[in-house]
Amino acid sequence: KLNVDVDTVQHGVEGLMYLLTESSKLMISEIDFQDSIHVLGFSDELNKILLQLYLGNRKEIRSILSELAPKLPSYHSLEWRLDVQLASRSLRQQIKPAVTLKLHLNQNEDQTAQVLQTDPSTLLHLIQQLEQAMGEMKTNHCRRIVRNMK
Amino acid sequence: ILDDPDLKDIDPTVLKHCHAAAATCILEAGKQKADISAISTCLEDCKLDKERIEQFCTEYQKNKDALEILLGSIGRSPLHVTDVSWRLEYQIKSNQLHKTYQPSYLVTLNVENGDSGSHPDVSFSCTMEQLQDLVGKLKDAAKSLERAAQM
Repeated sequence: KLNVDVDTVQHGVEGLMYLLTESSKLMISEIDFQDSIHVLGFSDELNKILLQLYLGNRKEIRSILSELAPKLPSYHSLEWRLDVQLASRSLRQQIKPAVTLKLHLNQNEDQTAQVLQTDPSTLLHLIQQLEQAMGEMKTNHCRRIVRNMK
Repeated sequence: ILDDPDLKDIDPTVLKHCHAAAATCILEAGKQKADISAISTCLEDCKLDKERIEQFCTEYQKNKDALEILLGSIGRSPLHVTDVSWRLEYQIKSNQLHKTYQPSYLVTLNVENGDSGSHPDVSFSCTMEQLQDLVGKLKDAAKSLERAAQM
């Protein structure tokens, strides 16, 4: 339909892919993008179309590229349950409270669930530690770094 | 016990029987959380004299709590969380993607397995929002615990 041979089409597609991927990866500005493609000597109308293509798809391309970075399993959700152990084979008449947790994690499109248990005092310790972690982003130190890195 | 100098005059087989009998008695008493009168009655039925019963019961009382803790710790349970470590990082770029500028938390739950002792810790990454979700849920659990304890 295009009246060009297969190779040309393939090169065209690959070239377009490379252009969009590299531009998205580097997050180049509109002006830089325009300057870059100007060198190729296309018509103004084509350049405008390419720019729109870039801006329109940048976000999605970036989110796909972010999947390629090395990473650990990521948090998905947590379920919890309160249990009280009343007896076991080795000891009767107990009152042992426990918190059972089911931690759902994502790793490369697989979801894993891990069942864990903890006691009340460790639970409070976990909460305290993680709240401290959350508070870190709000400290002056972190704020300064975030500001200066942009 | 077999190496104890005070006991070297006694036939080792008898010694083993005595030890086994005493151990069984103590463990059963501990398991059932028997009180002193129940133990005394039981020992009386075994035709032990008063002095020996008293000695046994005194020793038992002294070690009762430790015994219960030990017995309570035997048994299977899911991996037990003992501690948590976290790391906050700010991502700038990767070889696939530049200018990412995202804070990210790396959380490690230190985990113990009652039977074999060690187990690889559970590590995962999360965003600020995910961490908030996690902490929120843990706090819900803690609140429930408090309410249950007051009932």
